[in-house]
Amino acid sequence: MDAFNNLIYGFSIALDPINIFYVFAGVFAGTVIGMLPGLGPISALALMIPLTFGMEPSSGLILMAGVYYGAIFGGSTSSILLNAPGVAGTVATSFDGYPLAKQGQAGKALAIAAYASFIGGTISIIFLMLVAPLLGRVAVSFGPAEYFSLMVLGLTAVVSLSDKSLVKGLIAAVVGVMISIMGIDLQTGTERFTFGTVHLLDGIDFLVVALGIFALAEVFYMLLRGGGGKEQPRNAIGSLRLTKQEVRQIAPPIGRSSILGFFTGVLPGAGATIGSFLGYSMEKRLAKDGDTFGKGNIKGVAAPESANNAACTGSFVPLLTLGVPGSGSTAVLLGALLVMGVSPGPAMLVDRPDVFWGVVASMYLGNIFLLVLNLPLIPLIAKILDLPRPLLLALILIFCMVGVYGMSFSVFDLLLLLGFGLLGLGMRLFGFPAAPLILALILGSIMEESMRRALQISGGDWSIFIDKPISLALLVVAALSLTLPLLRKFRAR
Amino acid sequence: MTARFTAKSLTAIVLPLAALTGFSAAAQADDWTPTRNIEFIAPANPGGGWDTLVRTVSRVIQEEGLAERSFGAINVPGGGGAVAWAQIARDTGNPHKLFATSPPIILVPLAGTSRFDHTDFTPVARLITDYSIILVKADAPYEDLNELFEAIAENPSLSIGGGSAPGSMDHISMAGVAAAAGLDAASVNYIPFSGGGEAMTNLMGGHVAAVITGAGEASGQLGEGSGLRPLGVSSPERLGGVLADIPTYQEQGIDYTFDIWRGVMGTPDMPEEAVAYYEALFAEMLETDGWEAARDQLGWIDAYQDSEAFGAFLDEQKEQFSTILGDLGLLGG
Repeated sequence: MDAFNNLIYGFSIALDPINIFYVFAGVFAGTVIGMLPGLGPISALALMIPLTFGMEPSSGLILMAGVYYGAIFGGSTSSILLNAPGVAGTVATSFDGYPLAKQGQAGKALAIAAYASFIGGTISIIFLMLVAPLLGRVAVSFGPAEYFSLMVLGLTAVVSLSDKSLVKGLIAAVVGVMISIMGIDLQTGTERFTFGTVHLLDGIDFLVVALGIFALAEVFYMLLRGGGGKEQPRNAIGSLRLTKQEVRQIAPPIGRSSILGFFTGVLPGAGATIGSFLGYSMEKRLAKDGDTFGKGNIKGVAAPESANNAACTGSFVPLLTLGVPGSGSTAVLLGALLVMGVSPGPAMLVDRPDVFWGVVASMYLGNIFLLVLNLPLIPLIAKILDLPRPLLLALILIFCMVGVYGMSFSVFDLLLLLGFGLLGLGMRLFGFPAAPLILALILGSIMEESMRRALQISGGDWSIFIDKPISLALLVVAALSLTLPLLRKFRAR
Repeated sequence: MTARFTAKSLTAIVLPLAALTGFSAAAQADDWTPTRNIEFIAPANPGGGWDTLVRTVSRVIQEEGLAERSFGAINVPGGGGAVAWAQIARDTGNPHKLFATSPPIILVPLAGTSRFDHTDFTPVARLITDYSIILVKADAPYEDLNELFEAIAENPSLSIGGGSAPGSMDHISMAGVAAAAGLDAASVNYIPFSGGGEAMTNLMGGHVAAVITGAGEASGQLGEGSGLRPLGVSSPERLGGVLADIPTYQEQGIDYTFDIWRGVMGTPDMPEEAVAYYEALFAEMLETDGWEAARDQLGWIDAYQDSEAFGAFLDEQKEQFSTILGDLGLLGG
């Protein structure tokens, strides 16, 4: 058993006392960073680089990897409690996590998020360990045509995320796509929707939109209703305990989303955010009680939380086996590794097995630390909901503004945040769902770029999308997921 | 009542301040040194080339104890640099603000998406350079650059991936070498990806026929078992390390070189004394062991030029680039 021997070897590195300390320090810092909006994993990792100078490369990567997956782990907290996602990967968690918190079940939602993250992380490490070297090939098998078809499949989820009115859902999705293509077009250098201002040349940061449309809109909405309706009962956190039935309910979604998330993460350019949305919409469609998603279904917390952590681990596959970063965070990791004198790539497994297997083994430890660290903190952190309503609203407001300003140090972005808050309020008042807009915002620009790249490669021949088997399969699944519910409806009549 | 009170207290504050500044200006005339920490701006997100330069330089200067004041790395992303440039351009004469720069300071304004170009800022020093590298898959039929260009001449739809937008570094570099090889620069089917890494995975997966990217960035993917074949580098002489076996364009009979240079610029009209101070500081830094170690790991090559030479070099580059962009039909307003 080769993988087993390698793992033992990996643990011999990860269990070095100093490395145990680094794992712990990394995941602790990561959790805190994840909970705060704005200071995302990318900037946190960049700040860590100077710390790793002079470290053993394996220790440095163990520390930085801990920060990265710790941030994704911790990001769910503010999504659930405040409807204000701490990192982009946990936006989908707020769809059901926040309603659960409002129903007095914050403790349960946070506990499920922690368990799901832990299991998602652990399952994906097993995959990483067993098949990483082979998976490099899977990662590169996705070219522009395949990405386009994957994004089409992802966008079909608009239908299931729209609940009441499909037309309103589609309108929201179109707006999302429009926001996603703002800025300089990569293919032609043309400016789109920039209104002549230099601040919009790079488009709008995803988190500005998400914080505005979810968190700020929620604040406005509560203000509009005059102080926020009924006061929550004391001890609004609820129990952390899950019943046997609930465990049985969330186990299959966690398993499925972990695997889905891992493979999404392996694809360079997809990552935790897309993984969590795919997991969420897959479970919503599979669930018999799919119509309660978005209103506080525990499966709606379990699925995205296991998927985003699994995707985070998955993104180490292209980084460590091919030496190419699949996301902004892994790009910073790559830079740090280069500075430490290690070139990730096909040769690394042979030249520096200590780095690869040390990190893999440390991830098992890190996930256990995260669970042990997060579970006891839940009652403490969730106390935030016991604050009087006016204080809580002010806190969310500050939280969003500091987060956005901390990202770009741009006052313009604060105005954008306000604008998206008002847009979100308007959407709520007129019954437009926010989730399709966010989904389209994530997928829209990747879909467009991939399509144009694919057509440029094929010389304008559309058959590239059906000639490639993976692309064809994805398109077929997308078509089925749109037509099957209709067919079922007809048959029911 | 209030107004008078304000005016009075203002004078009270301003007078001593004026005396103070007058005094420090006199001190600056001989031998200027920074009076506070230096803001060192990377006009991009963490992780890219500018960011790496800023962080590496700041670290070496600090570790080697070269400056009394520390260099603080600041990321100002947006518009391929345009957001940061617009900010810095407002800060005329500030001697405590520097930023990392490279060909986009010329290319982005030429494409028409920045109001400010290199002439709006003060050149401080060119520090390093990297070169372009052209790669194909190891099982590709092209053994050298000429074979690749012959194939492109026959089939212009052959796709060449790069890590940046049309009209930016990778595209210019590719168009330039293609033109030098006798092809029509505009006929190259350049596919822009959002980074060298993404271009590389697309090459590994066989989605594009060849890729052009930075040689330093690509060095991790070379060597045994990589599945990629490098066809040429854009340097005047062979590079070192794992890149030593790769022939230059010129060795293959294509008279073309392309530098991905990186340097440091300052605010508009930065005082001469300050420029002189930084020139000397960077020249000294390039000689340290700490710099050598970092530079070699990152695959950079020293290419120091002082402020004056760097300024002249930038003007030359602008002429060169506008010719190529004109040929490509990508000159903006």
